[in-house]
Amino acid sequence: MEIDREDGRTPNQLRPLACSRNILHRPHGSASWSQGDTKVLAAVYGPKAGTKKNENAEKACFEVIWKPKTGQIGKVEKEYEMIMKRTIQSICVLTVNPNTTTSVIIQVVHDDGSLLPCAINAACAALVDAGIPMKHLAVAICCCLADNGYVVLDPNKLEEKKMSAFAYLVFPNTTLSVLPEGSSVADGEPVEHGIITSVTHGVMSVDDYFLCVENGCAAAASLSAFFRKNFQQSQRDSSKAG
Amino acid sequence: MEGRFANLWRLTVNESKFVESALQSELRVDGRGLYDYRKLTIKFGKEYGSSEVQLGQTHVMGFVTAQLVQPYKDRPNEGSFSIFTEYSPMADPSFEPGHPGESAVELGRIIDRALRESRAVDTESLCVLAGKLVWSVRIDLHILDNGGNLVDAANIAALAALMTYRRPDCTVGGESSQEVIIHPPEEREPLPLIIHHLPIAFTFGFFNKGSILVMDPTYVEEAVMCGRMTVTVNANGDICAIQKPGEEGVNQSVVLHCLRLASSRAAATTKIIREAVEAYNRERSSQKVKRHHTLAKSEVSGPIVVVRKRQQQKKSSGQEKAAEIHFWLWLWWLIVTFWR
Repeated sequence: MEIDREDGRTPNQLRPLACSRNILHRPHGSASWSQGDTKVLAAVYGPKAGTKKNENAEKACFEVIWKPKTGQIGKVEKEYEMIMKRTIQSICVLTVNPNTTTSVIIQVVHDDGSLLPCAINAACAALVDAGIPMKHLAVAICCCLADNGYVVLDPNKLEEKKMSAFAYLVFPNTTLSVLPEGSSVADGEPVEHGIITSVTHGVMSVDDYFLCVENGCAAAASLSAFFRKNFQQSQRDSSKAG
Repeated sequence: MEGRFANLWRLTVNESKFVESALQSELRVDGRGLYDYRKLTIKFGKEYGSSEVQLGQTHVMGFVTAQLVQPYKDRPNEGSFSIFTEYSPMADPSFEPGHPGESAVELGRIIDRALRESRAVDTESLCVLAGKLVWSVRIDLHILDNGGNLVDAANIAALAALMTYRRPDCTVGGESSQEVIIHPPEEREPLPLIIHHLPIAFTFGFFNKGSILVMDPTYVEEAVMCGRMTVTVNANGDICAIQKPGEEGVNQSVVLHCLRLASSRAAATTKIIREAVEAYNRERSSQKVKRHHTLAKSEVSGPIVVVRKRQQQKKSSGQEKAAEIHFWLWLWWLIVTFWR
Protein backbone atom coordinates (compact mmCIF):
# COMPACT_ATOMS: atom_id res chain seq x y z
CA MET A 1 0.00 0.00 0.00
CA GLU A 2 1.71 3.14 -1.18
CA ILE A 3 1.12 6.61 0.15
CA ASP A 4 -0.15 9.23 -2.20
CA ARG A 5 1.98 12.34 -1.83
CA GLU A 6 0.59 15.64 -3.02
CA ASP A 7 3.38 16.47 -5.41
CA GLY A 8 3.45 13.01 -6.96
CA ARG A 9 6.64 11.76 -5.32
CA THR A 10 7.09 8.21 -4.04
CA PRO A 11 7.72 7.88 -0.29
CA ASN A 12 11.42 7.32 -0.92
CA GLN A 13 11.91 10.16 -3.36
CA LEU A 14 13.69 13.35 -2.35
CA ARG A 15 12.92 16.77 -3.78
CA PRO A 16 15.20 18.17 -6.49
CA LEU A 17 18.50 19.22 -4.90
CA ALA A 18 20.53 22.26 -5.92
CA CYS A 19 23.80 23.48 -4.45
CA SER A 20 25.96 26.40 -5.49
CA ARG A 21 29.11 27.49 -3.74
CA ASN A 22 31.17 30.69 -3.61
CA ILE A 23 28.19 32.94 -4.20
CA LEU A 24 29.16 35.73 -1.76
CA HIS A 25 32.37 37.76 -1.93
CA ARG A 26 33.17 38.90 1.61
CA PRO A 27 32.80 35.58 3.48
CA HIS A 28 35.63 33.09 3.18
CA GLY A 29 33.22 30.35 2.17
CA SER A 30 29.58 30.46 1.14
CA ALA A 31 27.02 28.08 -0.23
CA SER A 32 23.34 27.97 -1.00
CA TRP A 33 21.47 24.68 -0.70
CA SER A 34 17.91 24.08 -1.81
CA GLN A 35 15.72 21.03 -1.51
CA GLY A 36 12.63 21.73 -3.57
CA ASP A 37 11.37 25.09 -2.34
CA THR A 38 13.31 25.13 0.93
CA LYS A 39 16.38 27.29 0.41
CA VAL A 40 19.12 28.13 2.91
CA LEU A 41 22.19 30.32 2.52
CA ALA A 42 25.31 29.58 4.59
CA ALA A 43 28.47 31.65 5.01
CA VAL A 44 31.68 30.81 6.84
CA TYR A 45 34.28 33.17 8.21
CA GLY A 46 37.49 31.25 8.66
CA PRO A 47 39.50 30.87 11.80
CA LYS A 48 39.62 34.12 13.74
CA ALA A 49 41.96 34.60 16.66
CA GLY A 50 40.65 33.91 20.13
CA THR A 51 37.89 31.82 21.63
CA LYS A 52 34.97 32.73 23.84
CA LYS A 53 35.26 32.58 27.62
CA ASN A 54 33.76 29.17 28.32
CA GLU A 55 35.34 27.40 25.37
CA ASN A 56 38.35 25.13 25.48
CA ALA A 57 41.32 27.17 24.26
CA GLU A 58 43.24 24.07 23.22
CA LYS A 59 40.79 23.30 20.43
CA ALA A 60 39.20 25.16 17.56
CA CYS A 61 35.83 26.63 18.45
CA PHE A 62 32.79 27.02 16.21
CA GLU A 63 29.93 29.45 16.54
CA VAL A 64 26.71 29.26 14.58
CA ILE A 65 24.43 32.23 13.99
CA TRP A 66 20.96 31.41 12.69
CA LYS A 67 19.06 34.20 10.96
CA PRO A 68 15.36 33.55 10.36
CA LYS A 69 13.56 35.09 7.41
CA THR A 70 11.44 37.49 9.47
CA GLY A 71 10.87 38.08 13.12
CA GLN A 72 12.93 38.06 16.25
CA ILE A 73 15.39 35.39 17.23
CA GLY A 74 13.67 33.11 19.73
CA LYS A 75 14.15 29.76 21.43
CA VAL A 76 13.68 27.73 18.25
CA GLU A 77 16.53 29.53 16.55
CA LYS A 78 18.77 29.15 19.60
CA GLU A 79 18.05 25.42 19.63
CA TYR A 80 18.95 25.11 15.95
CA GLU A 81 22.17 27.01 16.60
CA MET A 82 23.11 24.64 19.41
CA ILE A 83 22.33 21.50 17.35
CA MET A 84 24.30 22.75 14.38
CA LYS A 85 27.24 23.79 16.53
CA ARG A 86 27.51 20.32 18.08
CA THR A 87 27.14 18.65 14.66
CA ILE A 88 29.84 20.81 13.08
CA GLN A 89 32.15 20.28 16.05
CA SER A 90 31.94 16.53 15.56
CA ILE A 91 32.79 16.59 11.86
CA CYS A 92 35.60 19.15 11.88
CA VAL A 93 39.16 18.49 12.92
CA LEU A 94 39.47 20.53 16.10
CA THR A 95 43.16 20.11 16.73
CA VAL A 96 44.46 21.82 13.58
CA ASN A 97 43.80 25.44 14.56
CA PRO A 98 43.64 25.66 18.35
CA ASN A 99 42.41 28.81 20.06
CA THR A 100 40.49 30.05 17.05
CA THR A 101 36.81 30.70 16.35
CA THR A 102 35.16 29.86 13.05
CA SER A 103 31.74 31.44 12.46
CA VAL A 104 29.03 29.80 10.44
CA ILE A 105 26.11 32.06 9.58
CA ILE A 106 22.85 30.56 8.31
CA GLN A 107 20.23 32.66 6.56
CA VAL A 108 16.83 31.13 5.86
CA VAL A 109 15.64 32.21 2.42
CA HIS A 110 12.51 30.07 2.23
CA ASP A 111 11.11 27.41 4.53
CA ASP A 112 9.05 24.67 2.92
CA GLY A 113 9.71 21.82 5.34
CA SER A 114 12.88 19.97 6.34
CA LEU A 115 14.64 23.21 7.26
CA LEU A 116 17.30 22.01 9.72
CA PRO A 117 18.63 19.23 7.43
CA CYS A 118 18.81 21.73 4.59
CA ALA A 119 20.78 24.12 6.81
CA ILE A 120 23.22 21.42 7.90
CA ASN A 121 23.87 20.45 4.27
CA ALA A 122 24.38 24.09 3.33
CA ALA A 123 26.79 24.59 6.23
CA CYS A 124 28.81 21.55 5.11
CA ALA A 125 29.08 22.89 1.58
CA ALA A 126 30.12 26.31 2.88
CA LEU A 127 32.77 24.76 5.16
CA VAL A 128 34.18 22.89 2.16
CA ASP A 129 34.20 26.13 0.17
CA ALA A 130 36.09 27.88 2.96
CA GLY A 131 38.62 25.06 3.21
CA ILE A 132 38.03 24.25 6.88
CA PRO A 133 39.63 20.86 7.64
CA MET A 134 36.96 18.18 8.20
CA LYS A 135 37.00 14.45 8.87
CA HIS A 136 33.97 13.80 6.66
CA LEU A 137 30.80 15.58 5.61
CA ALA A 138 27.56 15.59 7.54
CA VAL A 139 24.63 14.55 5.39
CA ALA A 140 21.23 15.41 6.83
CA ILE A 141 17.79 14.10 5.97
CA CYS A 142 14.30 14.38 7.41
CA CYS A 143 12.26 11.18 7.75
CA CYS A 144 8.70 11.32 8.88
CA LEU A 145 6.28 8.68 9.95
CA ALA A 146 2.83 8.56 8.43
CA ASP A 147 -0.19 7.21 10.30
CA ASN A 148 -0.09 3.82 8.60
CA GLY A 149 3.50 3.17 9.64
CA TYR A 150 5.16 4.12 6.37
CA VAL A 151 8.32 6.20 6.36
CA VAL A 152 8.27 9.22 4.08
CA LEU A 153 11.50 11.02 3.18
CA ASP A 154 12.04 14.77 2.79
CA PRO A 155 8.54 16.11 3.54
CA ASN A 156 7.44 19.57 2.59
CA LYS A 157 5.76 21.92 5.08
CA LEU A 158 2.23 20.62 4.62
CA GLU A 159 3.34 17.00 4.96
CA GLU A 160 5.35 17.79 8.11
CA LYS A 161 2.24 19.21 9.74
CA LYS A 162 0.12 16.20 8.87
CA MET A 163 2.58 13.52 9.98
CA SER A 164 2.39 12.00 13.44
CA ALA A 165 6.13 12.17 14.04
CA PHE A 166 9.31 13.08 12.20
CA ALA A 167 13.02 12.83 12.79
CA TYR A 168 15.94 14.88 11.52
CA LEU A 169 18.88 12.50 11.05
CA VAL A 170 22.46 13.40 10.25
CA PHE A 171 24.88 10.75 9.00
CA PRO A 172 28.51 10.89 7.95
CA ASN A 173 28.81 10.73 4.20
CA THR A 174 29.41 7.35 2.60
CA THR A 175 32.89 6.60 1.40
CA LEU A 176 33.65 5.80 -2.20
CA SER A 177 36.07 2.94 -2.41
CA VAL A 178 38.60 2.54 -5.26
CA LEU A 179 37.87 -1.18 -5.59
CA PRO A 180 34.53 -1.87 -7.25
CA GLU A 181 33.63 -4.52 -4.67
CA GLY A 182 34.26 -2.20 -1.76
CA SER A 183 31.60 0.32 -2.76
CA SER A 184 28.75 -2.15 -3.14
CA VAL A 185 26.41 -2.62 -0.24
CA ALA A 186 24.87 -5.90 -1.29
CA ASP A 187 26.14 -7.88 1.68
CA GLY A 188 27.21 -6.54 5.03
CA GLU A 189 26.79 -3.02 6.25
CA PRO A 190 28.71 -0.02 4.92
CA VAL A 191 31.56 0.91 7.20
CA GLU A 192 30.23 4.24 8.44
CA HIS A 193 26.60 4.10 9.36
CA GLY A 194 26.69 5.84 12.71
CA ILE A 195 24.27 8.63 13.42
CA ILE A 196 25.90 11.97 14.17
CA THR A 197 22.74 13.82 15.18
CA SER A 198 19.13 12.83 15.66
CA VAL A 199 16.29 15.21 16.54
CA THR A 200 12.78 13.84 16.81
CA HIS A 201 9.39 15.48 17.06
CA GLY A 202 6.28 13.64 18.07
CA VAL A 203 5.86 10.12 19.35
CA MET A 204 7.09 7.04 17.50
CA SER A 205 7.78 3.46 18.55
CA VAL A 206 11.30 2.09 18.74
CA ASP A 207 10.80 -0.11 15.66
CA ASP A 208 9.49 2.82 13.67
CA TYR A 209 12.51 4.86 14.71
CA PHE A 210 14.89 2.17 13.50
CA LEU A 211 12.95 1.96 10.26
CA CYS A 212 13.43 5.72 9.85
CA VAL A 213 17.14 5.33 10.52
CA GLU A 214 17.46 2.66 7.86
CA ASN A 215 15.66 4.74 5.28
CA GLY A 216 17.65 7.78 6.30
CA CYS A 217 20.91 5.86 5.91
CA ALA A 218 19.97 4.88 2.37
CA ALA A 219 19.05 8.48 1.63
CA ALA A 220 22.42 9.61 2.98
CA ALA A 221 24.05 7.49 0.29
CA SER A 222 22.24 9.28 -2.52
CA LEU A 223 22.84 12.69 -0.90
CA SER A 224 26.56 11.87 -0.56
CA ALA A 225 26.62 11.00 -4.26
CA PHE A 226 25.05 14.37 -5.02
CA PHE A 227 27.60 16.19 -2.85
CA ARG A 228 30.46 14.37 -4.54
CA LYS A 229 29.20 15.05 -8.05
CA ASN A 230 28.58 18.71 -7.25
CA PHE A 231 32.03 19.28 -5.76
CA GLN A 232 33.81 17.43 -8.55
CA GLN A 233 31.94 19.38 -11.19
CA SER A 234 32.83 22.75 -9.70
CA GLN A 235 36.43 21.62 -9.31
CA ARG A 236 36.54 20.72 -12.99
CA ASP A 237 34.96 24.08 -13.93
CA SER A 238 37.44 26.05 -11.85
CA SER A 239 40.42 24.10 -13.21
CA LYS A 240 39.24 24.79 -16.75
CA ALA A 241 38.92 28.50 -15.97
CA GLY A 242 42.22 28.77 -14.05
CA MET B 1 35.79 40.20 23.70
CA GLU B 2 39.40 41.05 23.02
CA GLY B 3 39.72 38.39 20.36
CA ARG B 4 37.26 40.22 18.14
CA PHE B 5 39.39 43.33 17.81
CA ALA B 6 42.11 41.31 16.18
CA ASN B 7 39.66 40.47 13.40
CA LEU B 8 38.44 43.89 12.24
CA TRP B 9 39.28 44.48 8.63
CA ARG B 10 41.35 47.60 8.19
CA LEU B 11 42.47 49.27 5.03
CA THR B 12 46.24 49.57 4.73
CA VAL B 13 47.89 52.97 4.21
CA ASN B 14 49.14 51.85 0.80
CA GLU B 15 45.65 50.94 -0.37
CA SER B 16 44.08 54.19 0.81
CA LYS B 17 46.83 56.31 -0.79
CA PHE B 18 46.42 54.35 -4.02
CA VAL B 19 42.65 54.92 -4.11
CA GLU B 20 43.05 58.64 -3.42
CA SER B 21 45.79 59.26 -5.98
CA ALA B 22 43.89 57.29 -8.63
CA LEU B 23 40.84 59.47 -7.99
CA GLN B 24 42.95 62.59 -8.51
CA SER B 25 43.32 61.43 -12.13
CA GLU B 26 39.60 60.52 -12.26
CA LEU B 27 40.32 56.81 -12.21
CA ARG B 28 38.52 54.35 -9.96
CA VAL B 29 40.05 51.14 -8.72
CA ASP B 30 37.53 48.89 -10.49
CA GLY B 31 37.82 50.84 -13.76
CA ARG B 32 34.43 52.58 -13.62
CA GLY B 33 33.86 56.23 -14.42
CA LEU B 34 33.25 58.57 -11.48
CA TYR B 35 29.48 58.53 -11.92
CA ASP B 36 29.02 54.96 -13.15
CA TYR B 37 26.96 52.43 -11.26
CA ARG B 38 27.80 48.77 -10.95
CA LYS B 39 25.65 46.10 -12.55
CA LEU B 40 22.21 45.85 -10.96
CA THR B 41 20.30 42.55 -10.96
CA ILE B 42 16.89 42.10 -9.34
CA LYS B 43 15.58 38.60 -8.66
CA PHE B 44 12.46 37.41 -6.89
CA GLY B 45 11.77 34.44 -4.66
CA LYS B 46 8.99 31.87 -4.55
CA GLU B 47 6.72 33.80 -2.24
CA TYR B 48 5.06 37.12 -2.86
CA GLY B 49 7.11 40.00 -1.59
CA SER B 50 10.59 38.51 -1.53
CA SER B 51 13.33 40.14 -3.56
CA GLU B 52 17.05 39.67 -3.99
CA VAL B 53 19.13 42.58 -5.30
CA GLN B 54 22.75 42.47 -6.39
CA LEU B 55 24.60 45.71 -7.01
CA GLY B 56 28.07 44.59 -8.09
CA GLN B 57 29.33 42.64 -5.08
CA THR B 58 26.69 43.97 -2.69
CA HIS B 59 23.91 41.49 -2.03
CA VAL B 60 20.67 42.41 -0.22
CA MET B 61 17.43 40.47 0.34
CA GLY B 62 14.08 42.00 1.15
CA PHE B 63 10.97 40.27 2.57
CA VAL B 64 7.56 41.85 3.02
CA THR B 65 4.90 40.46 5.37
CA ALA B 66 1.71 41.96 6.74
CA GLN B 67 -0.59 41.38 9.65
CA LEU B 68 -3.75 42.89 11.06
CA VAL B 69 -3.25 45.18 14.04
CA GLN B 70 -4.98 48.01 15.82
CA PRO B 71 -4.24 51.39 14.23
CA TYR B 72 -2.56 54.30 15.98
CA LYS B 73 -5.02 56.44 17.89
CA ASP B 74 -4.22 59.60 15.94
CA ARG B 75 -4.55 57.83 12.58
CA PRO B 76 -7.50 55.47 12.80
CA ASN B 77 -7.97 55.21 9.05
CA GLU B 78 -4.44 54.43 8.01
CA GLY B 79 -2.36 51.30 7.98
CA SER B 80 1.30 51.40 8.90
CA PHE B 81 4.55 49.99 7.71
CA SER B 82 7.86 49.44 9.42
CA ILE B 83 11.33 48.59 8.19
CA PHE B 84 13.66 46.20 10.00
CA THR B 85 17.28 46.09 8.85
CA GLU B 86 19.47 43.15 9.69
CA TYR B 87 23.17 43.62 9.25
CA SER B 88 23.89 39.91 9.08
CA PRO B 89 27.36 38.87 10.28
CA MET B 90 27.49 37.13 6.90
CA ALA B 91 28.00 40.43 5.14
CA ASP B 92 31.06 41.73 6.88
CA PRO B 93 33.36 40.27 9.52
CA SER B 94 32.92 43.42 11.60
CA PHE B 95 29.13 43.12 11.88
CA GLU B 96 28.19 41.76 15.27
CA PRO B 97 25.09 39.63 15.75
CA GLY B 98 22.51 40.98 18.14
CA HIS B 99 20.78 44.27 17.99
CA PRO B 100 21.60 46.57 15.06
CA GLY B 101 24.43 49.09 15.22
CA GLU B 102 24.36 52.75 14.15
CA SER B 103 24.78 52.21 10.42
CA ALA B 104 21.99 49.63 10.34
CA VAL B 105 19.65 52.03 12.11
CA GLU B 106 20.69 54.88 9.80
CA LEU B 107 20.04 52.76 6.72
CA GLY B 108 16.61 51.78 7.99
CA ARG B 109 15.76 55.40 8.77
CA ILE B 110 16.81 56.70 5.34
CA ILE B 111 14.63 54.17 3.54
CA ASP B 112 11.77 54.63 5.99
CA ARG B 113 11.79 58.42 5.64
CA ALA B 114 11.81 58.27 1.86
CA LEU B 115 8.82 55.91 1.74
CA ARG B 116 6.79 57.44 4.56
CA GLU B 117 7.19 61.20 4.15
CA SER B 118 6.80 61.10 0.38
CA ARG B 119 3.71 58.90 0.78
CA ALA B 120 4.98 56.41 -1.73
CA VAL B 121 3.05 53.54 -0.13
CA ASP B 122 -0.66 54.28 0.15
CA THR B 123 -1.58 53.66 3.78
CA GLU B 124 -5.29 54.52 3.56
CA SER B 125 -5.97 51.53 1.36
CA LEU B 126 -4.58 49.34 4.17
CA CYS B 127 -7.51 50.19 6.43
CA VAL B 128 -9.99 47.36 7.02
CA LEU B 129 -12.15 48.56 9.91
CA ALA B 130 -11.65 52.21 10.79
CA GLY B 131 -10.34 52.52 14.32
CA LYS B 132 -10.22 48.76 14.89
CA LEU B 133 -8.19 46.81 12.35
CA VAL B 134 -5.66 47.88 9.79
CA TRP B 135 -2.88 46.13 7.90
CA SER B 136 0.61 46.66 9.23
CA VAL B 137 3.23 45.95 6.58
CA ARG B 138 6.65 44.83 7.76
CA ILE B 139 9.70 45.02 5.51
CA ASP B 140 12.73 42.95 6.55
CA LEU B 141 15.99 43.79 4.84
CA HIS B 142 18.83 41.29 5.16
CA ILE B 143 22.28 42.47 4.15
CA LEU B 144 24.08 39.38 2.89
CA ASP B 145 27.25 40.75 1.35
CA ASN B 146 28.77 44.17 2.02
CA GLY B 147 30.44 45.26 -1.19
CA GLY B 148 29.76 48.93 -0.49
CA ASN B 149 26.79 51.25 -1.00
CA LEU B 150 24.31 49.29 1.10
CA VAL B 151 21.74 52.11 1.15
CA ASP B 152 21.05 52.09 -2.58
CA ALA B 153 20.88 48.30 -2.84
CA ALA B 154 18.66 47.97 0.23
CA ASN B 155 16.36 50.69 -1.05
CA ILE B 156 15.88 48.91 -4.37
CA ALA B 157 15.33 45.60 -2.56
CA ALA B 158 12.63 47.20 -0.39
CA LEU B 159 10.90 48.74 -3.42
CA ALA B 160 11.02 45.53 -5.46
CA ALA B 161 9.64 43.50 -2.56
CA LEU B 162 6.84 46.02 -1.94
CA MET B 163 5.85 46.03 -5.60
CA THR B 164 5.59 42.24 -5.80
CA TYR B 165 3.93 41.74 -2.40
CA ARG B 166 0.28 40.61 -2.35
CA ARG B 167 -1.74 40.89 0.83
CA PRO B 168 -4.64 38.54 1.56
CA ASP B 169 -8.08 39.77 0.59
CA CYS B 170 -10.42 40.30 3.51
CA THR B 171 -14.09 41.14 3.80
CA VAL B 172 -16.01 42.68 6.64
CA GLY B 173 -19.00 40.57 7.51
CA GLY B 174 -20.68 38.79 10.34
CA GLU B 175 -23.78 39.76 12.23
CA SER B 176 -22.71 43.14 13.51
CA SER B 177 -20.50 43.70 10.45
CA GLN B 178 -17.57 43.86 12.85
CA GLU B 179 -16.04 40.52 11.95
CA VAL B 180 -13.23 40.42 9.47
CA ILE B 181 -12.77 37.28 7.40
CA ILE B 182 -9.34 36.84 5.86
CA HIS B 183 -9.53 34.84 2.64
CA PRO B 184 -6.69 32.38 1.94
CA PRO B 185 -4.96 32.76 -1.45
CA GLU B 186 -6.68 29.63 -2.80
CA GLU B 187 -10.09 31.21 -2.28
CA ARG B 188 -9.51 34.74 -3.45
CA GLU B 189 -6.64 36.39 -5.28
CA PRO B 190 -4.42 38.38 -2.93
CA LEU B 191 -4.20 42.10 -3.65
CA PRO B 192 -1.13 44.19 -4.45
CA LEU B 193 -0.18 47.24 -2.41
CA ILE B 194 -0.86 50.63 -3.94
CA ILE B 195 2.43 52.37 -4.59
CA HIS B 196 2.24 55.85 -6.04
CA HIS B 197 5.86 56.38 -7.02
CA LEU B 198 9.27 54.86 -6.48
CA PRO B 199 11.75 56.89 -4.42
CA ILE B 200 15.24 55.75 -5.39
CA ALA B 201 18.32 56.46 -3.28
CA PHE B 202 21.66 57.53 -4.76
CA THR B 203 24.74 57.66 -2.59
CA PHE B 204 27.69 59.95 -3.22
CA GLY B 205 31.16 59.72 -1.72
CA PHE B 206 33.38 62.79 -1.24
CA PHE B 207 37.14 62.69 -1.40
CA ASN B 208 39.95 65.20 -1.06
CA LYS B 209 38.06 67.66 1.14
CA GLY B 210 34.91 67.54 -0.98
CA SER B 211 36.45 68.35 -4.34
CA ILE B 212 36.14 64.86 -5.84
CA LEU B 213 32.71 63.28 -6.12
CA VAL B 214 31.98 59.59 -6.71
CA MET B 215 28.72 57.65 -7.15
CA ASP B 216 28.12 54.12 -5.85
CA PRO B 217 31.27 53.69 -3.73
CA THR B 218 32.64 50.19 -3.10
CA TYR B 219 33.58 49.12 0.43
CA VAL B 220 37.23 50.00 -0.20
CA GLU B 221 36.26 53.50 -1.32
CA GLU B 222 33.90 53.84 1.65
CA ALA B 223 36.79 53.22 4.02
CA VAL B 224 38.81 55.99 2.33
CA MET B 225 36.19 58.68 1.68
CA CYS B 226 35.93 61.74 3.88
CA GLY B 227 32.18 62.38 3.56
CA ARG B 228 28.99 60.94 2.11
CA MET B 229 25.55 62.06 1.03
CA THR B 230 22.45 60.11 0.08
CA VAL B 231 19.81 61.71 -2.15
CA THR B 232 16.45 60.02 -2.68
CA VAL B 233 14.58 61.15 -5.79
CA ASN B 234 11.79 59.72 -7.88
CA ALA B 235 11.22 59.65 -11.63
CA ASN B 236 8.94 62.71 -11.49
CA GLY B 237 11.85 64.86 -10.39
CA ASP B 238 10.73 65.15 -6.74
CA ILE B 239 13.36 65.08 -4.04
CA CYS B 240 12.06 62.74 -1.35
CA ALA B 241 14.95 62.86 1.12
CA ILE B 242 18.51 64.09 1.50
CA GLN B 243 20.83 62.67 4.13
CA LYS B 244 24.25 64.13 4.86
CA PRO B 245 25.44 62.86 8.22
CA GLY B 246 28.15 65.31 9.22
CA GLU B 247 31.79 64.69 8.28
CA GLU B 248 33.53 66.91 5.72
CA GLY B 249 31.64 70.03 4.68
CA VAL B 250 30.90 70.49 0.99
CA ASN B 251 30.06 73.50 -1.13
CA GLN B 252 26.46 74.27 -2.10
CA SER B 253 27.34 73.95 -5.77
CA VAL B 254 28.53 70.41 -5.15
CA VAL B 255 25.25 69.53 -3.43
CA LEU B 256 23.25 70.93 -6.36
CA HIS B 257 25.46 69.01 -8.77
CA CYS B 258 24.67 65.80 -6.83
CA LEU B 259 20.94 66.52 -7.00
CA ARG B 260 21.13 67.02 -10.74
CA LEU B 261 23.09 63.79 -11.21
CA ALA B 262 20.62 61.85 -9.10
CA SER B 263 17.51 63.11 -10.88
CA SER B 264 19.03 62.37 -14.28
CA ARG B 265 19.54 58.71 -13.27
CA ALA B 266 16.23 58.21 -11.47
CA ALA B 267 14.21 57.51 -14.62
CA ALA B 268 16.59 54.81 -15.84
CA THR B 269 16.68 52.96 -12.50
CA THR B 270 12.88 53.20 -12.12
CA LYS B 271 12.55 51.61 -15.55
CA ILE B 272 14.85 48.72 -14.57
CA ILE B 273 12.82 48.01 -11.43
CA ARG B 274 9.47 48.18 -13.19
CA GLU B 275 10.64 45.92 -16.00
CA ALA B 276 11.93 43.32 -13.55
CA VAL B 277 8.64 43.41 -11.62
CA GLU B 278 6.58 43.09 -14.80
CA ALA B 279 8.63 40.13 -16.02
CA TYR B 280 8.12 38.44 -12.65
CA ASN B 281 4.37 39.08 -12.69
CA ARG B 282 4.04 37.68 -16.19
CA GLU B 283 5.92 34.53 -15.20
CA ARG B 284 3.78 34.17 -12.09
CA SER B 285 0.50 34.46 -14.00
CA SER B 286 1.63 32.01 -16.68
CA GLN B 287 2.46 29.50 -13.92
CA LYS B 288 -1.03 29.90 -12.50
CA VAL B 289 -2.60 29.14 -15.88
CA LYS B 290 -0.60 25.91 -16.06
CA ARG B 291 -1.87 24.92 -12.63
CA HIS B 292 -5.48 24.98 -13.79
CA HIS B 293 -4.80 22.58 -16.64
CA THR B 294 -2.83 19.89 -14.80
CA LEU B 295 -4.13 18.08 -11.75
CA ALA B 296 -1.93 20.01 -9.28
CA LYS B 297 0.81 17.40 -9.52
CA SER B 298 4.00 19.07 -10.68
CA GLU B 299 6.79 17.12 -12.29
CA VAL B 300 9.07 16.75 -9.31
CA SER B 301 12.17 14.85 -10.25
CA GLY B 302 14.38 14.32 -7.26
CA PRO B 303 16.71 11.47 -6.49
CA ILE B 304 14.95 8.25 -5.58
CA VAL B 305 16.41 6.49 -2.60
CA VAL B 306 16.85 2.74 -2.83
CA VAL B 307 16.37 1.12 0.55
CA ARG B 308 17.94 -2.27 0.96
CA LYS B 309 15.43 -5.08 0.91
CA ARG B 310 16.48 -6.75 4.17
CA GLN B 311 13.30 -5.88 5.97
CA GLN B 312 11.11 -7.02 3.12
CA GLN B 313 12.92 -10.36 2.98
CA LYS B 314 12.27 -10.85 6.67
CA LYS B 315 8.59 -10.18 6.09
CA SER B 316 8.41 -12.60 3.13
CA SER B 317 10.18 -15.41 5.01
CA GLY B 318 7.66 -15.00 7.78
CA GLN B 319 4.85 -15.23 5.28
CA GLU B 320 6.38 -18.32 3.75
CA LYS B 321 6.60 -20.01 7.13
CA ALA B 322 2.97 -19.21 7.82
CA ALA B 323 1.98 -20.59 4.42
CA GLU B 324 3.90 -23.80 5.15
CA ILE B 325 2.17 -24.26 8.47
CA HIS B 326 -1.18 -23.69 6.79
CA PHE B 327 -0.33 -26.37 4.19
CA TRP B 328 0.54 -29.01 6.76
CA LEU B 329 -2.55 -28.26 8.80
CA TRP B 330 -4.70 -28.65 5.70
CA LEU B 331 -3.01 -31.91 4.80
CA TRP B 332 -3.51 -33.27 8.30
CA TRP B 333 -7.20 -32.25 8.21
CA LEU B 334 -7.55 -33.97 4.82
CA ILE B 335 -6.03 -37.19 6.10
CA VAL B 336 -8.18 -37.12 9.22
CA THR B 337 -11.43 -36.55 7.26
CA PHE B 338 -10.68 -39.23 4.65
CA TRP B 339 -9.72 -41.76 7.29
CA ARG B 340 -13.22 -41.49 8.70
